[in-house]
Amino acid sequence: MIVFEGAAVSVDGPDGARLILAPLTLELSERRIAVIGANGSGKSTLLKLINGLIPPTAGSVLVAGLDTVKAGRAVRQRVGFVFTDPLSQLVMPTGLEDVELSLRARLRNPTERRTAALAVLERFGLGPLAEQSIYDLSGGERQLMALATVLAVDPAILVADEPTTLLDLRNERRVRSVFRRLDQQVVFTTHDLDFARDSDRVLVIDAGQLVFDGDPGAAIDHYRRMHLEADPLPEHHP
Amino acid sequence: MRGHGSLFGTYVAGDSLLHRTPLWVKGLAVLLLSTSVLVVNLLALTAVAFGLVAVGYLIGARLPPIHLWRPLVPVWPMLVILGGYQIIANGPESALQVVGNITTCLLAARLLTLTTEGQRLLDGLVALAVPFRRLGADPERFGLTLALMTRSLPYLVGSVADVRDAAKARGLERNPRALVIPVVIGAVAYAHQTGEALAARGLGEPNAADPSGPAQTG
Repeated sequence: MIVFEGAAVSVDGPDGARLILAPLTLELSERRIAVIGANGSGKSTLLKLINGLIPPTAGSVLVAGLDTVKAGRAVRQRVGFVFTDPLSQLVMPTGLEDVELSLRARLRNPTERRTAALAVLERFGLGPLAEQSIYDLSGGERQLMALATVLAVDPAILVADEPTTLLDLRNERRVRSVFRRLDQQVVFTTHDLDFARDSDRVLVIDAGQLVFDGDPGAAIDHYRRMHLEADPLPEHHP
Repeated sequence: MRGHGSLFGTYVAGDSLLHRTPLWVKGLAVLLLSTSVLVVNLLALTAVAFGLVAVGYLIGARLPPIHLWRPLVPVWPMLVILGGYQIIANGPESALQVVGNITTCLLAARLLTLTTEGQRLLDGLVALAVPFRRLGADPERFGLTLALMTRSLPYLVGSVADVRDAAKARGLERNPRALVIPVVIGAVAYAHQTGEALAARGLGEPNAADPSGPAQTG
């Protein structure tokens, strides 16, 4: 269970404090939760609050009853985070070594660690790519590899920031298929409204405010209407 | 982003003699060889050391000859300038020795990383820092920092190549600002992203390597 208790984020600017995310009070308990909104609307900030990457400047965020600021380390052990660009996430030269890095904290024996890392990669169909340089993998393979490094430590919650944005259609479907099969609670941001439709609940964020919270169909309709009203397409003159 | 080439190279899988040699033996050999060529200052010794390293590449590690000159590609302008200066200042023999010493040390260090898996290297670095735990050092963080440094070099080399191509495409290849500023901004962004990714995975946090392992929730 993820609980936002008046959590807000603001930054100091030349004209005073600028609100990035307005105070948010909500409980997230569904298995799949999508967050949609325009670029710069505050979606990623909301996600980063969940594993304590960003501390709220007001209010608090609790994960399984733990405060993300006071118990940051314990929260991060429960919440895995997948970034949009897997290259910023994979820190070792090969996927196998990166999964081993994830497992260092629990498995001190190198042989056991290697065996466990290979098993994780096999689970995601990445066994044949285990020892390839991360730079030689396709975008989709890299994203799956990044996902494997995070899921290797069995987090209870997975948070993913636009995990399919950089992918082509085929790889996007692969990643979505993996997401569907996960046992973890998943909170993700996306611009892909079909992907958002895969979820149980959708939050619509606009200019740092939660403007809609509900089932996917209604939320996506609201989001579409909101943008059509605010920014109608210009007439086309050939 | 190109990220392949590196001064230190990345591991090449294999089962050669050097691949099977314990890390501490390889580390000690690199240390002794590098120290001796730099301290003794004898051209004959430089030649012998270079020969040994070459044999290590071709026979000891069974690597293709391309690995011998690949790390020299990014540093050749520096070696040429250094060699030129030495020829003028101290004569051709000194130039050959200085350039030979640097090349030998570089290739020897690279041979170690080419034949040692990243995780084994990380284990070795952590073990190296264990004695400093009494002084408050965190061996896991030390090892991770050095591992990240070797991982970051290929990324930055690739970043320079990308920025250079972008500058060329805009006809700005002679403008140093068009190269330096994007590379510096890219490097800072890369450092920030890497730090954020490590924090998100709980890596590098104090006592992150606690063998008792993280708690689980359902």
